[in-house]
Amino acid sequence: MKRIFGPILAPTLAVAAMACAAPLLASQKLGETQELRAPEAVYAKTCGYCHGRNVGPIILGRAIPADTVKYIVRHGQNGMPAFRPTEVKPSELDALALWIEKSTARSGEHGQ
Amino acid sequence: MSEINMDRRGLLGAGIIGAASLGLGTGASAKNPAPLAPGLTKADFSGAMKAFRGVVGAEWVFGDEDAVAPYTKTYIPDPNGYHKPVGAVCPESVEQVQEIVRIANTYRQPLWTVSTGKNMGYGMTAPATPGQVVLDLKRMNRILEVDADLGTCLLEPGVTYQQLKDYLVENNIPLWIDVPTVGPIASPVGNTLDRGVGYTPYGEHFMFQCGMEVVLPDGQLMRTGMGSIKGSTAWQAFKWGYGPYVDGLFTQSNYGVVTKMGLWLMPKPPVYKPFMVRHPNMEDTPKIIEAMRPLRVSSLVANCNLMMSASYQLAMFKRRNEIVPDGAPLDEVSLKKAAKANGLGMWNTYFALYGTEQTVAAIEPIIRAQLTASGGEVMTAAEMEGNPWFHHHSTLMEGGLNLDEIGLLRWRGAGGGLAWFAPVAAARGIEAERQTALAKEIVEKYGFDYTAAYAIGWRDLHHILALLFDKSDAEEHRKADACYRELVTRFGAQGWASYRTGVNSMELVAQQYGSVNREFNAKIKHALDPNGILAPGKSGIM
Repeated sequence: MKRIFGPILAPTLAVAAMACAAPLLASQKLGETQELRAPEAVYAKTCGYCHGRNVGPIILGRAIPADTVKYIVRHGQNGMPAFRPTEVKPSELDALALWIEKSTARSGEHGQ
Repeated sequence: MSEINMDRRGLLGAGIIGAASLGLGTGASAKNPAPLAPGLTKADFSGAMKAFRGVVGAEWVFGDEDAVAPYTKTYIPDPNGYHKPVGAVCPESVEQVQEIVRIANTYRQPLWTVSTGKNMGYGMTAPATPGQVVLDLKRMNRILEVDADLGTCLLEPGVTYQQLKDYLVENNIPLWIDVPTVGPIASPVGNTLDRGVGYTPYGEHFMFQCGMEVVLPDGQLMRTGMGSIKGSTAWQAFKWGYGPYVDGLFTQSNYGVVTKMGLWLMPKPPVYKPFMVRHPNMEDTPKIIEAMRPLRVSSLVANCNLMMSASYQLAMFKRRNEIVPDGAPLDEVSLKKAAKANGLGMWNTYFALYGTEQTVAAIEPIIRAQLTASGGEVMTAAEMEGNPWFHHHSTLMEGGLNLDEIGLLRWRGAGGGLAWFAPVAAARGIEAERQTALAKEIVEKYGFDYTAAYAIGWRDLHHILALLFDKSDAEEHRKADACYRELVTRFGAQGWASYRTGVNSMELVAQQYGSVNREFNAKIKHALDPNGILAPGKSGIM
């Protein structure tokens, strides 16, 4: 089975990566359900806690096909949990997958 | 009717006792989908699913294999594929939950309720028994109230810690959240209902819960505490209401579907100072606990202390074969060497002081003296700046968010296997010493590692062992299943039963709490839920 997690990097790099990942706020309003989120927000609040932070492999800037992203998100892979349509809405996932496919690498990220 | 119901319970019960205790499964696989609940026909199941679609819309009911796939991913040992749901239904309102529960009663379709379904090494969205439809409440994610003065909030089950934190930050409300390990994707409501714990002085989550709204198994809506009093302003302020206190009945149970929950939030303190205490030897366990207990009981240290073993810490950010070669035991010499190289001791105890400049300055010398006398090196951010383990724990102890501990999942091989084992004892050093010896003996017999921590709650000690295995290796998967059962059984025989467990072992743990307790739970269950439609098998309750 394919390994998805990469080698471990120097601890200080992990901390540096955390510092580089500026949070994107979600602007949820009191009494209302969470609105659809832009790919950057989904990445920052879900994917980016592991990918590029020494837990999961780097996925930005690798031209990973959108269909592959969508499959892995819905099924999980090895240590990665699966994310349901209630967590990442189908339209959010469509946009996220395309965004990841077209993304460029971020210098602050670390991992395989 | 009751005879029929009891027969059905009997079938469900026989299934869970036989399969869960002996490690048998249903044989479910991708080509052989999970079976329906005992007594249900395909027509019943189809009827229920059709009726669910009428309530929430076809796009929020999942029944075919591919659509159900996200609900089947687990980290726990389940070598025979026993814990597979047959579908999922996802309401967006309490009225829809009520209607779904009524439909489930009509068709006798069991429902396994989840909020965000991210309790990781406890089963995620997998049910305790086969044939259940997941009642997925993630779409119900409204933050209903936040009172900055009282430090309270009212949440729906689908709200994540991330959502709540973002709301507080965006609105400049100086209140903290208290997170479990996987805060960004987990639910405050769900974690509290599982009686999970966190890292700030509000870390005993159920203690800081106040008021619930519950859909009962017959579809009625009940509010606990002051919630049923028209015009009351104290639903989130006064826990007890009047008469029997019932909120606890809805935790770790299957007596209702909690659709709203009140929580208390900690005011942001003027000063937050995190500490790490390094001890050099595995044998230091009792000294650490004996030194920490008086600090916790007196609340000089106000938050839950985590004593992390070197192996647990290293597993977060390293791979096993960076420490020892594949197949070799994780020996103490190699561990010590790796720990030292990364600024860690063999035990690493994390706590923090919260208060004003004056109170922190007054307490710190007392604590330093006590912990230094135990043989520990007392470290702060001044010495540990840049250390990722210190950064991780100091983030958690101020209600910060990260998913660093998911790194545990890649410790062995392709990874993906994790089961939390969480036996409870009184906070005494001698008990921890005996527990560590027993745990090491059992896990090493199966070829696994002692990757564990102790949490000194208040007067209690939670031993938290992460059983890490490579789920892609069938033999290792089976060994993990057997190892976990031996841990539960042999610790239980010593009086150390678990405070919480995964769906793979709920029946096994429930057996240890005795027949009188189990019968009491069952009587309540039968009275409230005669058709057995809510989460059969949760905490071993049928």
